[in-house]
Formats: sequence, structure tokens, C-alpha cells
Amino acid sequence: MNLTLAYHPVEALRFDASTRLDGTTLDIDVDDLRGLLLEDEAFEDIAFEFVAPDEDCRAGPVFDIIEPRAKAASSSPDFPGILGPPLTAGMGTTHVLSGMAVTVLDEHAAGGSRGSIGRVLEMTGPAAEGSCYSKLHHLVVIPRMAPGRDGPAAQRAKRVAGLKAAVHLARAVASDAPGESRTFEPVDPGPPGRPGLPRVAYVGQIFSRQRRAELDEPVLYGHNTTGMLPVLLHPDEWLDGGVVTSYYTSMGGAETYLYQNHPIITELYRRHHAGELNFVGTVASIAGSDNTDRDRNCHAAAALVQWALKADAAVLTKYGGGVPHADLAETARLLETAGIRTSVMVSDVSRDRRVESALLFNFPELNAIVYGGGNDTRWQVPPAGRVIAATPAVGELLAGVRELGAMNVAGVTNQQGASRLRAVVY
Amino acid sequence: MQLTSALPIAKMVGSNRVVLGTGIVHVAGDANLPPDEEKALRRKLVEEALDSLRAEEGGAG
Amino acid sequence: MRIVHYLNQFFGGIGGEEQAGSPLQEVEGAVGPGRLLEQTFGEGAAVVKTLVCGDNHAVEHQEELTAAVLEHVRGAEADLFVAGPCFDAGRYGMAAGALCSAVQTELGIPAVTAMHEENPGVDLHREGLYIVNSGKNAARMKEVVGRMAGLARKLAAGEAVGLPEEEGYLTRGLIRDRFVGKSSAERLVDMVLAKVQEQPFDTEMPVTSFQPVAKPRGVDDISKAKVMLITDGGLVPKGNPDNIEGMAATRWGAYDISGDDDLAGEDYEISHGGYDPRFVQADPDRLVPLDALRQLEKEGAVGEIHGEFLSTSGLSNPLSNTRRLGREMAEKVKREGVDAVILTST
Repeated sequence: MNLTLAYHPVEALRFDASTRLDGTTLDIDVDDLRGLLLEDEAFEDIAFEFVAPDEDCRAGPVFDIIEPRAKAASSSPDFPGILGPPLTAGMGTTHVLSGMAVTVLDEHAAGGSRGSIGRVLEMTGPAAEGSCYSKLHHLVVIPRMAPGRDGPAAQRAKRVAGLKAAVHLARAVASDAPGESRTFEPVDPGPPGRPGLPRVAYVGQIFSRQRRAELDEPVLYGHNTTGMLPVLLHPDEWLDGGVVTSYYTSMGGAETYLYQNHPIITELYRRHHAGELNFVGTVASIAGSDNTDRDRNCHAAAALVQWALKADAAVLTKYGGGVPHADLAETARLLETAGIRTSVMVSDVSRDRRVESALLFNFPELNAIVYGGGNDTRWQVPPAGRVIAATPAVGELLAGVRELGAMNVAGVTNQQGASRLRAVVY
Repeated sequence: MQLTSALPIAKMVGSNRVVLGTGIVHVAGDANLPPDEEKALRRKLVEEALDSLRAEEGGAG
Repeated sequence: MRIVHYLNQFFGGIGGEEQAGSPLQEVEGAVGPGRLLEQTFGEGAAVVKTLVCGDNHAVEHQEELTAAVLEHVRGAEADLFVAGPCFDAGRYGMAAGALCSAVQTELGIPAVTAMHEENPGVDLHREGLYIVNSGKNAARMKEVVGRMAGLARKLAAGEAVGLPEEEGYLTRGLIRDRFVGKSSAERLVDMVLAKVQEQPFDTEMPVTSFQPVAKPRGVDDISKAKVMLITDGGLVPKGNPDNIEGMAATRWGAYDISGDDDLAGEDYEISHGGYDPRFVQADPDRLVPLDALRQLEKEGAVGEIHGEFLSTSGLSNPLSNTRRLGREMAEKVKREGVDAVILTST
């Protein structure tokens, strides 16, 4: 596997009669794009808006954020298992419209624990400073579902529409010369090319069975993860569309954009290239629905890290809410028992801001913990100059927001490693 | 006693009597089973729960 | 800045252990460490009053002492209350901690003290106070007083206080958010590399430890026992009459099941944002197994099912909340003669 990312920088979006990159301005034929997306009868209509970095604008609730990417001819498929056959991702060249994103809105916030505004795209002000998304140009996709299309059917439609739009835009540059290319140094669990450097693996949860996955909810190569055991993935499979987020990201947040630009995988690659470690591969896992499920998953994940990747060290992340911390911790404990050193990243569960409420595990060997913050960061925000939402009611709600919590701003808190907000003990 | 599917968390906080449930989304049931089998399963879980509450042999508890 | 300073008999210059019984005395101006404190603060700050009390007297008459000290601090129109440093003197530390807490909460005046980390006053008061780490004895008096003054200045001015290692106080056991230069991904990789190479690293969260819970004796005869069902899965009657929050719940409810053989989905809803509720909504017995337990009651295998089940929502709920919820539920359980509880958790 040897993925090449061909970057085409975008510094402006412009409505035009055809979709093409003119210098660094992306012209978008939105009628053409709308026509493409409305092939799915789940939509009654779809609207588009452009948003620029640092613009006085708020959009939400965010369903997903995707980086526009398209595979070059004779490479692996785009978003395999969803838009194409489920063949191995990460092969050949992928064209990337860098500096921008396709941001799909929900019609209303998904039910659950984050309040009625869900997670918003906040482009300016103090709340935006902590988010990588405020520095991007966004094509905001605003769906209106056809009558009767709600629940899983609507979620599936929005997922596919976002990915299709992302691929469609990037196809426009597939025959252009990129501004810059990056080919990843081969990573594999084979004999260590550089003896003396620690062999490091990544173990990432991609779903939590606190929810039952919808039948056609695509997460891993289009599969909904039900019944899956931990699986070895090449790092490039994460970066190249093999994994997308679940319909619900719950505590902390996760977006497809940050799988494509996975902060942990890109960091491990950076250190690998810098000669600080040997990046030997990754394991994708899920948080179990019961103890049997949990034990099976944790043991299988640990065994892959130990026997297939022969790692000396592993970094682990969770997905979903509170219970997945138990799966994360159990996997790390098994690794530690096997002599593999671990560090783990957890999300902020301490609502009374006490250390005693901060962790959902207590294994002494799990003594390297990265703790994301979020529960006591709130900003007073002025009325947004421009509000983008799928319905007038939600628009009014977003316009009236005077206070925003870190958990409600996409990118400020994040389970994939992008957040710079941490909790400190005092 | 605690009937739960999150054993590690119950252990961590020091629950003394734990019986494993049948899943986070239905700790005392299983939506995949036909109703009569699910009821039988639930009865078994409740019997296990009651068993865990009995004074141990010798009664030291 | 007007400062009131509390000292024990030894640092207050009354005497040693033989004077530990001496009652509260009031001295105008600074005494002993108070002079150093004044010097450290420099222009514009004065110890207007020093309160001196024997260690035994302070512990034996804590309520009385607290009331008297509050009165003095109020009367002196103080901007700041300082106690100690107490080093490893346990009685002194407990008195200083209690007085600082009282001044801070009752009068809203900032308070600072200093102790050795093993002083029993620390565990009792560390969460609510800034307690400067003083070391065991007065060897570092000047440095310790300097840190106390630095912290006090910030508190009096309402400025943000830095972290324990920056300011020299003992960790309070609290957490707060901070933006940092490195992403969590970078920190995660930094940490594992340090760990695997046996280099020092700092976890961002210490591992929690829980006090073991004593295991109560079991029930001798279940067929005569009164059994109650409790859940933290958020099952509530339609309309959620007690407004039990779906996250970080502060309330619980007791719901009548005395006439029911099983629970019907149309009568209930789920106030819990942490799991997929569709299965319990379809049949609440999947969370609160009344049908099976009722059957066992009818067969005589259980004595009696309590007429209500208790419910709250166990999502993202801090211990300070859940301890209270648990205590309140346990009181009801005891009061109503329940012998055994089946608690179902999602």
C-alpha cells in the first residue's frame, strides 16, 4: 500500500456554470450538483451555501464534515463499500481539494445528550478559535427530506449525499496537476527497518454498541459493524475512505473529515518519517454491547497488536459515550499485561469537575492518560451575522444562541485527536 | 445486587454482587429472541439475581 | 489591603505545648510570620489583626472559635484572611482549614493557608481552599510566605490562579479546561513514546481509587424477603412527572407498580441519552424485570415485591450527584423495610 495524496489548494468558492478549479478558486455548478444529489428520492430539495474562513457565520446542526477527495483512475474506489465496491482503500492517488470541506446539515438536532442545537459549525469568535473547521471554506449542504423520509432512511441519504458531493467536487481536479503531493512512506508490521525504534500501533474504536447500528449505516467499508471483530487496517485505509463516522458521534464528536485527516494517524506518520518510531499499523475496534462482547473484542484487539503487529507500544482511542471507556481500558490493560506500553485518550465525563468523577476505569497500569476537556468551557457569543440551518425554526434557535459550550462546537472537542482543549488538574 | 452489562464499571465502583446482563440496550432481555424465549431468559436472570442476594454458606455474608 | 492573620500559640509567641489550651486572643498588628507576610506584600497591605489560639482549644471548641473568628474578620473589614503556615502540625492545620473555609464561604473573603501535604487539615479542606505546600517544618518559611502572598494577591484581585506546580499549592482534586498548544493526538503519541522509552511523563489525569464498599450480609430466606427494583436506566412514566434529567440527573423517582404484572411500553418513556432506547421502550421489562419477578412472587419464590420501583438516569453523572441520589434511595429502602434490591444498569 502506498497512498499518494495530490493536494489542490482552494482559497475561494464561487458559483459558476461549471465545476472546475480556477487557480485557487473553486467554481461550483450547484445546479449540476443538486441534480446529482436529487437522484436520491429521499430528498425533496437540497440547497447550498458557501462559507468562508473567519466569516461571521454559524451553521448547524452539523451531520457530517467531509474533505472533497476523488480517486485517480486505476486507483481504489471512492469511499469503498458506500459509493463503490468494498475494495481495499488507500491504493494509488487521491486528489484532495485542500482548505475546504463539504458540510452536511441535519434538519434538526439528533435526539440525545447535547441539547437542541446539536453541534454547530462556528466560523468566528472565541468559540471558533479552537476548531480546525473555522479555517476552512465550506460548501454547506442543506437537505430537505421528502415527506415520510426520516430516521435511518434520512440519515443514510444524508451520509451518501455528503460523500457524493465531496467526490463530485474533487473529480473536477482529477486531471489537473496538484499544487503539492505527498506519498506516505510504507508502513507495515514487517521486520523493523530501523532497529532500536519502538514499534507503535494505533487501536481506534469506530462504533459503540450503546446503540444498535442501523442496518444500512455505513461505518467500515459500508458495513454497519454489527458482529464485527477487531480488524487490522493499514493506516491509509482510514485516510482514504475506508472508515466514516457513525450517524451518532455522541460525546466529544467525530467527523469523516478527521478520519481523512486522522490526527493520530498523521501524527504517527510524522514521527515515523522523522525517525522517532516505527509505525507498524492500526486496529479498528468497537465498544461492546455486553461483557461477553467486550471481552471478545478487547482480547482480539490486543492479540492483533501483540501477534500480528508485534508492537512495543500502542495508543488507543474510544468512540461514543461513557461505557466505551471500559472497552478502551480493558484493551489497554491486556496490552500492558503483555508488556506493550500504552497511552489512552478519553473524553471529559466529569460534570462536577472533580478528579474523582473523571475516569471510568482504575487500572494502575493505565497511567498515561490524555484527557480532553469541554465540560466547563462556555463562550458568550454575539448574535451571528449569518445563520445557516435547514429550517426557519432551527435558524431562529441558532441565531438566538448567546452561549456556546465547547461540546456544541464541531472540532473544539473531538474523539479522533484534533482537540487542543484539555482538562488540567488543580 | 447489580444487574449490568458494564461489568468493569460495576467492579471499579465496588459493587459486591454483580450478575451480567444481556446487553446495554436491554440488560434484562434480548430483542433478538422470540417473546417466550426472552421471557424465559429474563426469569433466569432474575433467579440469578435473587441467588446472588442469598446469605452465603456459613452466613458470614 | 487589610489582612487578618490566624496563628497557633507557638507561632503566636504565647508558648509551646503547655499553652495548647489557651483560648482565642486578639493582637493588633502583625506577629511572627505575620511580619514576614507584611514585608512580602509591601506597600499598601497591612496585617490589621492577629488572632492567636491554642491548638487544643481550637480543636475542642471549633464552632465557638469559628464564630468568634468570623466576627473579628467582619469587624476588621478585612480583604484577606491568612492562617498559618501550619507545616505538619495536625491540630493547627485542621483549625486553619476550617477557619479559612468558613471565612471564604460565610463572608466571601478570600482565604489562604499553608500546610505539609500530610497534615490532616489538607484532606479535610483541600477541595475548597488554596493550601500552599509548606513542607514539614519552618525551614522554607520565607519561600512559603512568599507563595501565600502571591496567591492571596491574585485571589483578592479576582485574577485567574495558575496550576499547583506554577503557584505552589496542594492539588485541590478539581479539573478545569485549558487550551494547549499541542493537539490530543500529539500528546498521546508523546506520552506513549516517553513511556515505552522509560522516560518521565505526566498523565493528564491521575487514576481514581474508590473506597471498598463493605458487603452486607445476604438474605437468609428470599421466599420471605421484600424485594425492590431500582434502575439507573432512566425508565419513567409517560410525561416524566419528576422531570428526571436524561443526563447528569439530579433527581430520582418512585413509581407505583403494585397492581402490575408487567410493564407496558405505552405507559413509560426513557429519560437517558446514553443508549439506544428503542428496545426498552418496546418492553420496559427489559430494563425493570417486573414480569419475571412477579411470576416468582406468585410462585412463592420471593416474599413480596415493593409497590414501587425507583428510577434515575445514570448518564454522565458526577459522583457528587450520585452519592446523594444513592443515599436518598437507600434511606427509602431502609425506611420501608426492603430486604434486597435488584439494581439494573444499562
